[in-house]
Amino acid sequence: MNISKNWLAAYIDLDGLDTREMADMLTFAGVEVEAMHERGVTTDQVVVAQVMQKTPVEGSDHLNVCMVDAGEGNLRQIVCGAQNYKEGDKVPCALPGAVLPGGWQIKEGKMMGHASCGMLCSASELGLPDKEHGLWILPQEYAVGTPVRQFTGTDIFFELEITPNRPDLLSHWGMARELAGITGRALKTDPGDVSPQTQLAGKSILLSAPEICPLYTATRISGVKIGPSPEWLAERLIAIGLHPINNVVDITNYCLFELGHPLHAFDAAQVQGTLDIRLAQPGESFTSLMGDEYALQESDLVISDASGRALALAGVMGGKNSGVTDQTTDIILESAWFLPGNVRRTSRRLGLASDSSYRFERGTAPWNTLRAAARAVQLILECAGGKAEPTAVAGQAPAMAPEKQVKEATVLQQGTDAKVYCALPKVQLDWKELDVMTNAAIPHMEAARILRNLGLKETSPGCWDCPPWRLDLKRSCDLLEEVVRVYGIGNIPATRTAIYVPESAQDRAHDFRCAISRHLTGAGFWEVQTFKLIAAQSIDPTIASVQYALPIKPLQPGDVIRVALPLSEDHAVLRPSLAPGLLAVAARNLNQGLETLRFFECGRVFRNTGGGKGKDIESEVLGILMAGKATPASWDCLHPQTVAPQHITAVLEGLLPKSRITVLPARLARKEAAISADILANGQTCGFLARVALSACRALDLPADCYYAELDLRKLQQISTGPFKVKELPLYPASGRDATLETPVSIQHADVVKAVESIHQKLLESCRLKELFCDPTGEKLAVDRKAMTYSFLYRNPTATLTAAEVDAAHSELLKALASKLPELRYR
Amino acid sequence: MKEQIAQVQAEAMEILSKAADMKELEQARVAILGKKGTFTRVQQGMKDVPKEEKPVVGALLNAARTEIAAAMDQRLAELQAQADAAAVSGVDITLPGATLPAGGLHPISLVREEAVRILRRMGFTLADGPEIEDEWHCFDALNTPTDHPARNEKDTFYFDSGKLLRTQTSTVQARVMEKQAPPVRIICPGSAFRRDAIDATHLSAFNQIEGLYVDREVSVGDLKGTLEYFLKALFGDETAVRFRPHFFPFTEPSFEIDVLLQAAGQEPRWIEIAGCGMVNPAVFENIDLESGKNFYVGCTGFAFGIGLERLAMIRWGIRDIRLLIENDVRFLAQFQ
Repeated sequence: MNISKNWLAAYIDLDGLDTREMADMLTFAGVEVEAMHERGVTTDQVVVAQVMQKTPVEGSDHLNVCMVDAGEGNLRQIVCGAQNYKEGDKVPCALPGAVLPGGWQIKEGKMMGHASCGMLCSASELGLPDKEHGLWILPQEYAVGTPVRQFTGTDIFFELEITPNRPDLLSHWGMARELAGITGRALKTDPGDVSPQTQLAGKSILLSAPEICPLYTATRISGVKIGPSPEWLAERLIAIGLHPINNVVDITNYCLFELGHPLHAFDAAQVQGTLDIRLAQPGESFTSLMGDEYALQESDLVISDASGRALALAGVMGGKNSGVTDQTTDIILESAWFLPGNVRRTSRRLGLASDSSYRFERGTAPWNTLRAAARAVQLILECAGGKAEPTAVAGQAPAMAPEKQVKEATVLQQGTDAKVYCALPKVQLDWKELDVMTNAAIPHMEAARILRNLGLKETSPGCWDCPPWRLDLKRSCDLLEEVVRVYGIGNIPATRTAIYVPESAQDRAHDFRCAISRHLTGAGFWEVQTFKLIAAQSIDPTIASVQYALPIKPLQPGDVIRVALPLSEDHAVLRPSLAPGLLAVAARNLNQGLETLRFFECGRVFRNTGGGKGKDIESEVLGILMAGKATPASWDCLHPQTVAPQHITAVLEGLLPKSRITVLPARLARKEAAISADILANGQTCGFLARVALSACRALDLPADCYYAELDLRKLQQISTGPFKVKELPLYPASGRDATLETPVSIQHADVVKAVESIHQKLLESCRLKELFCDPTGEKLAVDRKAMTYSFLYRNPTATLTAAEVDAAHSELLKALASKLPELRYR
Repeated sequence: MKEQIAQVQAEAMEILSKAADMKELEQARVAILGKKGTFTRVQQGMKDVPKEEKPVVGALLNAARTEIAAAMDQRLAELQAQADAAAVSGVDITLPGATLPAGGLHPISLVREEAVRILRRMGFTLADGPEIEDEWHCFDALNTPTDHPARNEKDTFYFDSGKLLRTQTSTVQARVMEKQAPPVRIICPGSAFRRDAIDATHLSAFNQIEGLYVDREVSVGDLKGTLEYFLKALFGDETAVRFRPHFFPFTEPSFEIDVLLQAAGQEPRWIEIAGCGMVNPAVFENIDLESGKNFYVGCTGFAFGIGLERLAMIRWGIRDIRLLIENDVRFLAQFQ
């Protein structure tokens, strides 16, 4: 909200209060000053000057060359385009170098061949209300050469952040009251303290939706003369950035910024019969005073009349053809209380916001309804004349105090023939609570003084009446907050207490994740963090898209969770796998010339278990992507290998060094993968390994050698954090024997391992692939055959094996193996 | 015989000194001391030496043999040293390093780990909760009224199921307190979501770290002391910290925290870094009512939340928040 310091000074004595100091006081009491601007003429280089000579410029229909006396001893030549002045007039003259409001710097120049050394100014060019539509003609008694700022004065304009719990601060009087509360400075006369004349509304107002609008007042003023606002009023509106329109409209705006309660003025000639405050009808539409049409819903509140037309959207905006115009002679002034949530919903749904809706949706004080009406009536009679009827009051102020309190509550009473009652909320406050909260740092006397300064009254020991403008004070903690913020947290000593807490499962998960991440960065992988909201489908390779998901378990229709109202289709669903994000990262970095693509991410993936109808499952997974060159090229290795399955398997083995990692072909092939495999650790499935579909690599402009593994972090943690004991070192030596197995290419390493294990040769300790040979030319080995050399290690844990024993065990193993692997030949 | 010994020794010394490499030295050894070596042959002449001369000639032979052997060892050492020098003479120690695959952590992980490390040292334990939340844990429990603007579908991502993506990690406060009796001293690093268009300063998905301490008689002083310690540990001991009163529905009183940061060549500036406050009693009441356990009657506590992206941006002078989700290696490599 914007506040003018000059306007504020009309309500509170600010003498001797430095602006910076005032801003800090507000900021540290919870009203953040976001910016401060000086308004008006702030330079001494705009001076009073007298036009001594005025000569029309040849060839121009409006420019004159003026010789002006700016009190410098000799005359100054300035070319001027205004028409409203004559020789001898005194006007403001901006000298070269002067900076005018808006940051506009005056320079010497030439216009149509004539030197112009400065500028003669209008009032608006000096940031003041425009008075003459031309140069500002100054009184003759002003001496030439005098800086104009001596006559104009300046103002400070504050931009404040008012938190949503403090709607009472959304006005100048409200801010003055707050400042008085914080500083203890004296308030001047309350502008809203005008006794309203009231009458019962009878049939003139119908409250058709009393739960949304329980109190509505209307004041008819006849015989007003619509015209420009008086200068003081226009100046105040301009000071906070508003444009004056006409006296009646300006006064309604003025009262809003003075007292914080929105008002609306109807042209009485446009209102027929009873004002009906009702909910909109099905299919009803509303045309705003800007001329825009809005389709209403049955929850929108409108001000209607006997014609059935919606004259205004309650609390949000006036309608077309019902507002005050230059022809208006009689007006109806509305001041009412509307339910905040209702105004907010209407305003947001229609994208229609106003200073009025801003206040109603944050909450207005019922107590302020008649005050604002009476103040506006007073100003209208003063500025626009006319005769006011007593304010017609329909309904009653909504209770701000809980119902059970109302009996004992202090009740404020407003109005004459029709009365409005406001019961003040009572709050019970035990100083013990304050002592606990602040370690008894704040003396109780001081706390009581702070509350009294803020307008609270202690009616009996520990029992406080809250002022009617403070909608946020309901419970003792609300009062404690007031004491603490005004006393200042800076004055409360800092303490440090801690307790012992047990380590949680999340602590262990965090540590595991950190260890895994550190390991992978050491192994040459970049950790990335990709966006959790991804596209369902995208053709842009750098946009993560579900079509490339490679989760541990294949996706079923309906598994992917979509937000109801995405910001864009690029971020419409929750990622079910980290693969889309990592592939997009690879594509982006490949575009930057990176050839070794090694990335990982630890994070959450999301899916629904029941095709959209089941539970939403979130799990922590690890995604590892390797594509392109396995290692970066350098001067000592010009042509590194491209990534192959054994490279990513090696990484997995490094992650779980204590476990036996097995990669087995997946039972179900997936269309997103050229090759699908399950990752097992100690025989337990813990992830999925894929060579990314070649079609996907083409679509993403990625190299064809692109491998991706997704692993369940929880399972990895379980597997790798179990207890273990060291093994005794063997006492007897082992003996090795190699064998080269020639098989069809369709036989895989895992088949050999499985066959070997099934034989259960007692002396066999391990079996390790030593060499793999294929010959694409077919010269040394048929193209459809391959040769795998394995090293078999034999050991007896209790004795040294003889060569004969090893040979016997080895040949027994090879014989058994031959019967298990079809078309096996030994070489 | 004496002359013979002297002559063979002189010849042997000559041959040894001329041996140009290890191979020639070995040949020389065979030629002198081998079975048919010159010295061996002279030695064999010992049997013809008269008995009375044997001790003298024997001593001469031994002395000659010792000298030859010593000369041989010396020559061997010389040649070995030459060979060793030659073996490494072509090595250029100044060559650029061969390229290993590089890697590093993401800056958000770095700040998260650091914050977690400090807070765990201060006795906070980690907690967690779902990112797909219900309205109760995200809003109702945390005292956010039904018609609060944040609950609008234009500000928060909802699902057709009525659930939503949590707008703050404070949801974990409710998740923990409905199950656990006080004292509670937790932190929760995690993602939160708001329906903000992505630009240089906004992401619709971002990271926070949330903290909560609830016990009997936890005070504003504790809040102040804890957060001052944390922020000084994070930004440096000399960092000034200040608390500005603010408003959040789930704390009262609430504060925003600024730290005074000084970039090289710039005036020090107060930068808003976190939000905090004393847990609003309504939050305790809501949770006790829902859980039916009345754990929190008579408790007080404080909570705080800090944005990790903002922390990273301030720490490293990152101007565009989008760099944190683009994962360009040219950016990531700077955090190695």
